[in-house]
Amino acid sequence: MDLPFVREAVKNLFSRSSCDMYPLKPSEAAEQYRGRIEYDPTKCINCHFCERVCAGGAISVVEVPVEEGTQITRTFDLSTCTFCNTCADFCNTHAIKLTKDYHMIGLKEGDLLVSGTFVKVAKKKPVPPPAEAKPEEKAAPAIKPRDDGKPVQDPSKCVYCGICAKKCLGEALTVDRKEKLWKLDEDKCVSCGTCEEVCPKKAIIM
Amino acid sequence: MFKNLITESTAKSPWLFHINSGSCNGCDIELVAVLTPRYDAERFGFKLAGSPRHADIVVVSGPLTQQSLPRTLRAISQVPEPRCIVTIGSCPQSGNVFKGSYSVMAPLSKYVHVDVAIAGCTPKPEAIMDGLVQATEILKEKRKAWLEAKKNGLKDGPKAETEQEVPAAEDIPASGEEVQQ
Repeated sequence: MDLPFVREAVKNLFSRSSCDMYPLKPSEAAEQYRGRIEYDPTKCINCHFCERVCAGGAISVVEVPVEEGTQITRTFDLSTCTFCNTCADFCNTHAIKLTKDYHMIGLKEGDLLVSGTFVKVAKKKPVPPPAEAKPEEKAAPAIKPRDDGKPVQDPSKCVYCGICAKKCLGEALTVDRKEKLWKLDEDKCVSCGTCEEVCPKKAIIM
Repeated sequence: MFKNLITESTAKSPWLFHINSGSCNGCDIELVAVLTPRYDAERFGFKLAGSPRHADIVVVSGPLTQQSLPRTLRAISQVPEPRCIVTIGSCPQSGNVFKGSYSVMAPLSKYVHVDVAIAGCTPKPEAIMDGLVQATEILKEKRKAWLEAKKNGLKDGPKAETEQEVPAAEDIPASGEEVQQ
């Protein structure tokens, strides 16, 4: 009589289990796995680009005026997130990171929220003291678009995030956040309008 | 004597009932992966039940479309108390990228109390396993409270604050926007 699979059965009796034994043996997510969001508020410059690119609308911001400037709280709702990494891709200062941590279990409300708070210090003091000069100053640097169709920067709105320089196809823009520098290489600029389109603060006029 | 034996053994084998309420199938596949030999959730006693009446844990995936919502709620109401409701993925919790659509009734928590929410799009099988183990812990406590209430003569069990009655299918307004809590 032929007994089928006897050899297989005996072999399997003494072979290793095919189970991963997960909770006993911790398992790490694969390379480039996109899990829990990590947000570093110290790096954030509040350019709002992450909210604009988020398809699910998972990112929300609360801005509260305080003494030194504005207190900004950015909240990432992991229960709305698709973990597409677009916010991290677009973040110019690398303040957002999707980690390999996949243990995201919510037992009560607020378990699945990642948030960070920072205070954005108000810009330059010289503007408020001369109360009379205010309307004049506002009128004077009213930025007009150039005749040749090339971009102009509005320094009062610009946060020097560098997104325009990153997106510029001809590499005509140089932005330095520390030096507060915004420079246009007129020879390289082709007046395509990409910088105006991507500027989250609408500080570029064409 | 038999009652004690039954309650003790049911605690060790919570059966799952899986409802797909318009999911893209990603979460469903991961839930099935949990039951494969590699992850082997049957070590914890999990087993897919074919009928809601046999289940202890309800697993919901999908963004709760207008068509599936009344059916989902009906299936949930058929699961005997004490039960535990688990959501898989972002969809049943918020609607995910379908949020705001006319046919998506998203958060399940609007209609019933959700005990465990597993985030991820889709969650890893390990994460689902973690969530289900949490759910069994909750189920154990619920069962304890249930038994005590029965001893005290309450036939319908304890009325915890978190416990919500499942609304009947007819009571649900046609659009998700009109629902008010």
